[in-house]
Amino acid sequence: MGGAGMIWLAWRQHHKQALFTLIGLVVLAALMIPTGLAMRHTFAHLGLPACVRALGHAELVPANNETCGMAFNRFRNQYDTLTSVGVLFLVLPLLVGLFWGAPLVAREIEHGTHRLVWTQAVSRRHWALVKFGLVGTATLATAVVYGLGMSWWLTPLSQAGQSRFDPFLFDMQGLVPIGYTLFAVALGIFAGTIWPKMLAAMAATLAGFLGLRIALAVFARPRFLPARVLTYPVQGVTAEPNPTVGDWVLRDGVRDSSGKLVAANSRIACPENPTGPGADCGRELGIGPGAYNWQLYQPGSRFWLFQSIETGIFVGLAALLLYLAVRRIRRIA
Amino acid sequence: MEAVLETDQLGKRYGRTWALRDCSLHLPEGRIAALVGPNGAGKTTLLHMAVGLLRPDAGQVRVFGESPYDNTKVLAEIGFVAQDTPLYRDFTAAELVIMGAKLNRRWDTPLARSRLAQLGIPPDRPVGKLSGGQRAQVALALALAKRPRLLLLDEPIASLDPLARREFLQALMGSVAETGATVLLSSHLLADLERVCDYLIVLHASRVQLVGPVEDLVAEHRQLVGPRGHEPIAGVAAMVRASHTDRQSTLLVRTNGPITDPVWTVHEVTLEDLVLAYLADGDTVTSHTAWGVPA
Repeated sequence: MGGAGMIWLAWRQHHKQALFTLIGLVVLAALMIPTGLAMRHTFAHLGLPACVRALGHAELVPANNETCGMAFNRFRNQYDTLTSVGVLFLVLPLLVGLFWGAPLVAREIEHGTHRLVWTQAVSRRHWALVKFGLVGTATLATAVVYGLGMSWWLTPLSQAGQSRFDPFLFDMQGLVPIGYTLFAVALGIFAGTIWPKMLAAMAATLAGFLGLRIALAVFARPRFLPARVLTYPVQGVTAEPNPTVGDWVLRDGVRDSSGKLVAANSRIACPENPTGPGADCGRELGIGPGAYNWQLYQPGSRFWLFQSIETGIFVGLAALLLYLAVRRIRRIA
Repeated sequence: MEAVLETDQLGKRYGRTWALRDCSLHLPEGRIAALVGPNGAGKTTLLHMAVGLLRPDAGQVRVFGESPYDNTKVLAEIGFVAQDTPLYRDFTAAELVIMGAKLNRRWDTPLARSRLAQLGIPPDRPVGKLSGGQRAQVALALALAKRPRLLLLDEPIASLDPLARREFLQALMGSVAETGATVLLSSHLLADLERVCDYLIVLHASRVQLVGPVEDLVAEHRQLVGPRGHEPIAGVAAMVRASHTDRQSTLLVRTNGPITDPVWTVHEVTLEDLVLAYLADGDTVTSHTAWGVPA
């Protein structure tokens, strides 16, 4: 009895959910693996790996590599639309929270079965630890597969210049899906201990999850570390930001020689000593000699650091919610 | 005699309302006790504290001398059937028996299986598809398979039809006669319990109104009919309920000696008379105040 018995019960209660999740993952894999391989094939076919190697990790690179630039563009044009499939992956943690987390306690209380199972010779704490432990482990496994799988799938796209820091792309790969999914499940479990109805617990999970995710992504993430500033000249097309390092540009624009922002959300490149029709490059915008391009950004090299910070926040919140849920469960009758 | 269940000044509060208050009682071993009271009287609250689901806000409750809250040692001795006999509806009866074996140190699988076989419960159908009476029988079989020394049942028959009700009580009585377990059975349907119970606890308006062995309670209460205005009466310890016409009074009293005054006709009382008399002095005063009408 005890440990093994509770595991038997948890498996008996949740094996169908586990099976559905597994089927879902297999279907997604059947969709993602062929497209991922096709992307890699095109990537290699266009000679892009060599371009990536040539550009290296420098922030600014010479702006004269026409062949590579065009190849990157061709690749992006072909596969950009595929990233919309990724929106599917944004809701995956939420779905796991709604269908794994929220019913875990709420369903028992809604059906009154907590009075059956909590009056056998197993303590509520033990019940909660085994159930949370098993569901948490299954969640973790799902999220690891999905996060790392998406990282693999998205690699060619981010190497071709679509920053991994882009709002949606950041959220669907690497470590953060693990944090999001664990948090969604913990929030669902906790909501079930507060609102003992499945629908109410699910609604609370939905609202809480979206609210915190959006607030953190919009307000906190850009400030995890102080942003850096990069400047490069308007005149003389000698250098441009490296498209493959995946910087997260928070704000950019053109500043005049006194540092005043004259054109927001734009970057300008004029040839050296221009002549002919385009000679007054940007003068009508007030861009004179000494103007320079400016960008405020988080360097692409901070990707894993930011992933770790955000994952840590969500995992910490999940642990707190589970602790509170165990405490609440001791007071439910 | 040892008390299986003992409460002392026990109270439970939800927000500012007391669901149960100043509840002191003891249930001796081997009794089959009826816990009677209208809906909302605090019966479920009392049972939940006895089975350790709830923690008291005042006083204490002891089962076999220990506090039952979060106490698996005491839980192993209690068989509990909650209100509406909740079961995992997608489990079959056979799976529920396995579950019991997995979650309890002491568990009598053959007992549960033979009971369910006798009752004609199919082992391989989800219990959600069984009738209410069958589900109640499954819940009882699960509670009995723990071989409990105390069996707590919260309105197990309230939702059953009369036939299922009788079958359930028969099954209960049969098995209790074998094991000698102490039983506490709550209900607002007194008629069903009258036949099976030998101990009575009446709860009303969150308080204990009456406790004791049925025989003693019946023996010490009398109904008196006589002319109005002849109180006090020798031999009467307490007036439980009085109703008057212009000339005549009908009194239900607790006696402490023989009533010899010849102006009173003395009748014996039934258990039902007794319970109804104790439930009748409700809190109508607060109700009148709440509604803003004169009492």
